[in-house]
Amino acid sequence: MKRTRFLIGAVAGLSVAANVDNLFGRALAQPILPGLPSGTDDRVLVVINMQGGNDGLNTIVPHGNQKYYQYRPTLGIAPNDVLQINKDIGLNPAMASLKSMYDAGNVALVQGAGYPGPDHSHFRSTEIWQTAEPEHYETTGWVGRFLDSANLPADNLFNAVALSPVLPEVMIGRRVDVPAIAALQGFGLSSDRNQNERGVFAAIDKGGSMPFDSPYLSTVAMIEDHAQRGSQELPKLISGYKTDASYPATPLGRSLALAAQIVGSRLGTRVVYVQHGSFDTHAAQKQTQDRLLKEFSDAIKAFYDDLAAHGNDKRTLTMTFSEFGRRVAENASRGTDHGEAAPMFLVGGGIKGGLYGEHPSLDVLDNGDVKYTVDFRSVYATVIEKWFGRQTSGVLAGSFPTLTMLT
Amino acid sequence: MPKRAASRYYRMAMNAAPSSFRPAGSLPSAPLAAYDGPWNTRLAAHLLRRAGFGGSPSDIAHYAAMPMGDAVAALIRFPSTANYPEPQLTDDRAAELSLLMSVRGADKTDDAVMEARKQLRDMRRTQNVANVTWWLDRMVATPAPLQEKMTLFLHGHYATAAGTKNIYGLDIVDQNELFRRYALGNWRELTHYVARDRAMLKWLDNARSVKAHPNENFARELMELFTLGIGNYSEQDVRESARAFTGFTFAPRTGEFYFNARQHDDDSKTFLGKTGNFNGDDIIDIIFQQPAAPKLFASKLLAFFIYSDPEPDLVDQVAALIRKNDFNMEPVMSTLLRSNVFYSDRAYRALVKSPVEFVVGTYQLFGITSVQPEVIGALNRMGQVPFHPPSVKGWDGGAQWLNTQTVLARENFASSLMSAPEMMQAQNWLTQGGPPTTEAATRKLSSTILQGDASASALADLAGYLDGGGTSTNTMLSGENFEERMRGAAYLTMAMPAYQLS
Repeated sequence: MKRTRFLIGAVAGLSVAANVDNLFGRALAQPILPGLPSGTDDRVLVVINMQGGNDGLNTIVPHGNQKYYQYRPTLGIAPNDVLQINKDIGLNPAMASLKSMYDAGNVALVQGAGYPGPDHSHFRSTEIWQTAEPEHYETTGWVGRFLDSANLPADNLFNAVALSPVLPEVMIGRRVDVPAIAALQGFGLSSDRNQNERGVFAAIDKGGSMPFDSPYLSTVAMIEDHAQRGSQELPKLISGYKTDASYPATPLGRSLALAAQIVGSRLGTRVVYVQHGSFDTHAAQKQTQDRLLKEFSDAIKAFYDDLAAHGNDKRTLTMTFSEFGRRVAENASRGTDHGEAAPMFLVGGGIKGGLYGEHPSLDVLDNGDVKYTVDFRSVYATVIEKWFGRQTSGVLAGSFPTLTMLT
Repeated sequence: MPKRAASRYYRMAMNAAPSSFRPAGSLPSAPLAAYDGPWNTRLAAHLLRRAGFGGSPSDIAHYAAMPMGDAVAALIRFPSTANYPEPQLTDDRAAELSLLMSVRGADKTDDAVMEARKQLRDMRRTQNVANVTWWLDRMVATPAPLQEKMTLFLHGHYATAAGTKNIYGLDIVDQNELFRRYALGNWRELTHYVARDRAMLKWLDNARSVKAHPNENFARELMELFTLGIGNYSEQDVRESARAFTGFTFAPRTGEFYFNARQHDDDSKTFLGKTGNFNGDDIIDIIFQQPAAPKLFASKLLAFFIYSDPEPDLVDQVAALIRKNDFNMEPVMSTLLRSNVFYSDRAYRALVKSPVEFVVGTYQLFGITSVQPEVIGALNRMGQVPFHPPSVKGWDGGAQWLNTQTVLARENFASSLMSAPEMMQAQNWLTQGGPPTTEAATRKLSSTILQGDASASALADLAGYLDGGGTSTNTMLSGENFEERMRGAAYLTMAMPAYQLS
């Protein structure tokens, strides 16, 4: 039997050789750092990227503020339609399912999340939220750095998974390679060549000495190896999970159904990335945003019903982010342009639900945008320290006060 | 595994990798001198992968047989392709239905409108598929590969997606023809036309940008992504230039660009340090005077055609070249494709093939001329469908092309192609000439598919497979099994790392 050796992270200048025979899906047994909460080693974080810039003011609606209606003559949501949380604010009416979870105490709303020196570019701002580095360009993501620092078994292919066709920057680290899985169907070698070639495919040497060098060579070899082995193993590893949950027939619903299956199969997966969008509502905002918020709200409800039925709701925390909120004043196309601060949702059976941070002021704007009241890195720090029981050093640059939805 | 055949090939392959096999020299100390090293099939294949999509084995031989300078000249001075037919409008009732909806569209419960909307959606989808396969067909069959490659570059640069933002019919094809016309033309002039392009006007909302409420989307991306790059303008510049582009729209009936003077903000603007009553054209001219503009194009060209993290010195040199030629790209590309940097070790196989390069190149390699619509699904799984970039930033490319999901999609595409021999030309190099020896077969696969860029141990595995290792019949390569065996081996060769790299 041939033993395959491959290099992890050689492209980042780090070489970690590993033997990879039959070591899939072994559960984590790494101790957490001394002095930090115990019992956190089977916890999972689900990160949902609300791509495109979700309009915060029509998500958590300041229905008690007349200025809101002045800025939003056609897009403003009438007080009677808002799902009221208190006399000042409430949720977009498309989020009835999420509101029921809020009322049950399982949703924390972080208002006004953002960062200093807000950037209005989708790409740069997305990068900032993913790398957690507003001030300089960084090539690794904060989850990637967290995974690198978490002493995860190098032989587990599923320490984290990105349920997306492209590996997002947030999951890129220097040591841990995260598989991208767009959907379970299609994650595998097709069967129209015979089984024998698959066998040879698996065995064929992807390394060895080449008559050329390329910065991508070791990456290609590693990913081909992971793709081959991971796609054969994953369906087997999660096939025992049975569920009666009914998810909405939307891309997010399908992604979260797979996420519940992976979480419930206990593969040692610590982080799952899911994407939803696009929220880039420059024109005809209401139609698009309401649909996307409803899809989000309904899919999250189904997800937690499924998780709860399997006893996984308390070990699964979901956190959303979006690269920015949108301009306070609507534009001529019944849409809104790129803005600054916006809310984040934290959902799960293990949190203290409620409102966190201040709703941004409509009186003092930054060039027409709401200013942030909570640095998003405080939310990340809360997740790292209070959810995973780990230190933020090496993951976040600087120290950020934690919030109290997790204890 | 049959040890005998494998070890024989292993020895042969080990002996067959002399250092002269590699392209000459590492990165030169004076970048952008003319390349004067050896010229061979391997470098001709490198040129064709970069300045085209890879070509057929006979294309590579054709270019290898002429001097390097002539090969580049032949690619740069391409034959006219003006007669290439545009995609057919799959259904010309689309305009009629559109009209029906606009007349009656206010009442959404109107059955006729609902029915029209459904029909229109189906028609647009069909047209969309026809447009994508039209371009893929054109890339595969073109006598001017560099023209298509530059068009692909420009499509990724001024990235616009069809099927959204009301971009339908031939909108995206018209934009594509604009890129093709300016493939090696003047890119400042091109940018003026991009600002007038119907698909772009819809995509970044400028068509609706009016004096009272300027929409910043186009103005921002124009600077951030198309010309200057972040950090080379201020938020104030975005707001001011958005005012200058107000009134740039198109006539709904004809689809032609139209400057709506009544919706144009005619007041003074201050933009990048200049003040005046600027319109959109003035803004573009001011932008192209900035040193950041040639630099951005230089970086993107280098990353697309040469290697992904070019040295700052090299970027500066190429930027100076672009500026010296006043954004005329023919002399710029001609210099790049003849340069020592282009043929350096550092550039060789230093790019990840995009899915389009992977698919079109594979079609050319096996002489498959007709693109099936199913290929769009395969391209989607690989992460790139022409006319459908994920955002206005285009495709990130490089390492971003590769993850477990997209790599599997590449293998599956190669596998399905090798399972459909009827798609290939009857006289394909793969099976031509009858059953070869294992050694000859392995050499042919390695040299034709990978230009020899495989490890000796991988080729030993391949030889083992050809001789029945791991196959169900476990028989040596023979007259009965060789066609199927060669296709299986070609699939395995395409799964090797070098084939993912350009």
